[in-house]
Amino acid sequence: MKPENKKRLMIFIWSLVGVGVVAGLYLYAGKEPFIRTTLSGLTLGSLFFMVAAGLTLIFGLMDVLNFAHGAMFMLGAYMGWQLYTNPTFIFGMLPALLAFSTGIMMTSVIKPYLIRWEISSKWQNFLPKAAYFLALVIGVVAFWGFDILQLANTAMVAATTTTAGNPLAEISAQEPFVQFWYRPLLLLLSGLLVAFASSKPGVKTEFAPLDEMKSKLVLPIVLFGLTILSIIIRESAPVAILLMNGNWRFVISIIVAIAFGFLFGAIVEITLIRPLYVRSFFIVLMTLGLSFVIQELVQLLWDPLAYQMVRPPLFAQPGKAANLMEWLRNGSSTIDVFGVTFPTYRLFVILLGVVMFVFITLLMTKTRLGMIIRAGVQDPQMVEALGINVKRVFTFVFALGVAMAALGGIGAGPFLPIQPAMGEQYQMQGFITVVIGGMGSYVGAFVGAFLLGMGRAFGDYFALKLSLSPAIAEASTVIIMIIVLLIRPQGIFGKKE
Amino acid sequence: MSQTPLKTKKPFFLRFKDERILLILFALMLAFPFVMNLITGSGLNDGITKFWQGQLIIFFIMAVFAMSYDLLIGFGGILSFGHAASFGGGAYTFALLMEHWAPNFIGKYRILIGSLDITEGIVLLIVFLAVVLVSILIGLLFSATSIRLKGAYFAMLTLALGTAMFILVKATDFHEWTGADEGLHGVYVPDWINPTQNRLTIYLISLVFLVVCYLVMKRMVNSPTGRVIIANRENEDRMRMIGYNPVLYRTIAFVSASFFAGLAGALYSIWNTSATPTMVSAVTTVNALIMTILGGMGTLVGPILGAAIMQTISQFFYTWFGARWPLVFGVLFILIVMFLPYGIIGTWRMKRNDIKGGWQKLLRLLSKKEDL
Repeated sequence: MKPENKKRLMIFIWSLVGVGVVAGLYLYAGKEPFIRTTLSGLTLGSLFFMVAAGLTLIFGLMDVLNFAHGAMFMLGAYMGWQLYTNPTFIFGMLPALLAFSTGIMMTSVIKPYLIRWEISSKWQNFLPKAAYFLALVIGVVAFWGFDILQLANTAMVAATTTTAGNPLAEISAQEPFVQFWYRPLLLLLSGLLVAFASSKPGVKTEFAPLDEMKSKLVLPIVLFGLTILSIIIRESAPVAILLMNGNWRFVISIIVAIAFGFLFGAIVEITLIRPLYVRSFFIVLMTLGLSFVIQELVQLLWDPLAYQMVRPPLFAQPGKAANLMEWLRNGSSTIDVFGVTFPTYRLFVILLGVVMFVFITLLMTKTRLGMIIRAGVQDPQMVEALGINVKRVFTFVFALGVAMAALGGIGAGPFLPIQPAMGEQYQMQGFITVVIGGMGSYVGAFVGAFLLGMGRAFGDYFALKLSLSPAIAEASTVIIMIIVLLIRPQGIFGKKE
Repeated sequence: MSQTPLKTKKPFFLRFKDERILLILFALMLAFPFVMNLITGSGLNDGITKFWQGQLIIFFIMAVFAMSYDLLIGFGGILSFGHAASFGGGAYTFALLMEHWAPNFIGKYRILIGSLDITEGIVLLIVFLAVVLVSILIGLLFSATSIRLKGAYFAMLTLALGTAMFILVKATDFHEWTGADEGLHGVYVPDWINPTQNRLTIYLISLVFLVVCYLVMKRMVNSPTGRVIIANRENEDRMRMIGYNPVLYRTIAFVSASFFAGLAGALYSIWNTSATPTMVSAVTTVNALIMTILGGMGTLVGPILGAAIMQTISQFFYTWFGARWPLVFGVLFILIVMFLPYGIIGTWRMKRNDIKGGWQKLLRLLSKKEDL
């Protein structure tokens, strides 16, 4: 038999098996439980996909197993929730973050000059280390005495008391400008030192052309402008956001979570992961440590408690909508889907996952960047040999992956308890998804995520029916993974090595 | 006629030349409770002496666990994230048998030699045999998955298996046996090794356990089998071409690591008289990982040093930084991974000559100045 025909036959057989399983479940469970379980499976699958998409892209392109992905998912939820209830925190921290990233982004500008610097190999070794150390010290000095805890704590008050009547009741004061001005400045300096260290002064084997300096300057200048802007609007913006309609506030918090994830991912890639590409084994350990640090940091800021984010008004009105139009008009909390009452917010999560998949597909297949990424998954050395700056693509993909995880986090925010450990189990399921779907394949992640979500939902259903605990269903996802791996060790959509 | 053998046997004491520092440390540790007793005046089994004995017991057990993990990732180059399954498996096997089987057995039967009652000894022996069996089985299970999978897939599968184990331990379905979330507490332990009544005994047992495990692992690593395991880490294809079966040697590494981890888990369960889900969780694996990285991967002394540092740090950081001390620790860990990837011992071994040379230079400079 021809290989294509064999492949087609296999696809046919497997889809037949799939249809059979679905039909069997439908007949066994009955119409209503079947639809309900399917919908919750889709919700779970959508969340899994948001975690797994970043993981699979990052792994496919640069062979990095990111163990901090769950922590970044959690961080996205926290950031979105903070903007939704306590924007003072975000706007108080924003100048510092932006100033630091402005400094780091200067790397591409100063690197061409620094690597042409004539210094002995002793200094080549010493200077970056000294610069890193100095950057750390300056960073600590910049935050010394900055009352972050007080900024973060406001949210806890806001979460316990209802702010429905007066949204501005809980708003806290920012540090006065007279005390604040030197902090962004010092962080800019710290970022510049990191840029200095990571551009490897004096190393002749590094390559960076001296041309196109103007275009390289664009990003740092834009970031610098944003820093100035964020310092100016530091005190007025939180008020404006809190007075806004809840739906728009939620949209903004989604955007903030994505932007934060992107920026954070870029910073992590440049400062922590890039120096370790030569020792890839240690990247895993580093990301493990990073997830540890992020979780502890979050617990330091917001205490190890579980918070409940208020649902935006579009999903908050008690009552059941008969159809989509009625939901959009009334903002009901539940909707009727084929005779089953289902929370509207979960429908939104499913939609979010599908939109993200479409976005990734478009990015990967229709743009030049996507072409480079796909080529990089195949053979990074060859792409570099063709004259493309692979390092920058790496940074972009890592940042994109983290941004997607953060989007997943804020998407999960309104219906999961927001707590430091919320990322862990999603990371685990994300890993399983990636393994099932095949490393490096976003289509695989999509299919795997929904397969796994369905598996989980029906597992829970059967566990309930057979009076077992849901823990058994959770453990059973591992069994799905092992079965897939035994049949196809490279995953469903993975390529054989 | 007499031929001189190629390898002359060293005199007994010279054979320990490499380990003289460790021997001194062993002697110090052996004397520690008694010296502490003399200094503080509190009895051997109470006060500060008892407290520090407890800290050292945890250190000994965790050192063995970290060493067994190093056997996997340091020597075998196998990145397994489910090592806590062996540790917890050992602990749970011990606790389950001691909780549900041993009291029954001891209540029903008495085994006597003359007038000496050895029932408890026999029970302990059987339980430990079961622990060994279970930990070997867990090792086999993990290594069975490595036949088809490699690299990242394998790491994730071990993580998933470890998590599955953790979930099963926590599952409420088996509440009457495992105690679900709370775990098993107040496990029956014979009086003579009960850590609250006879802490000195368990202190000495775990100290000897550490030393024996260290010597056995050192022998194993330096044996031909150990060499093949290390070579497997460097280049698997080449080993296969030479004619070794990588799967077999990976299995050996896995089973032996799991064996030591299981024993350490059982001992930890004696020390706590409990078995909790935390022992099976990823946190335990990560702890062993941190200890190994801290001390230096691919060395056996490294994990011991790492465990010592970790134990000390967790004591002092708690008083310095409060409940959020792991934050400081995590930052330290990242810095070590970034700048000292071979750990303390590994870096020392690499830079030993440089450091010694620099030291001698300094001494020479100082002495010259005195001459002038």
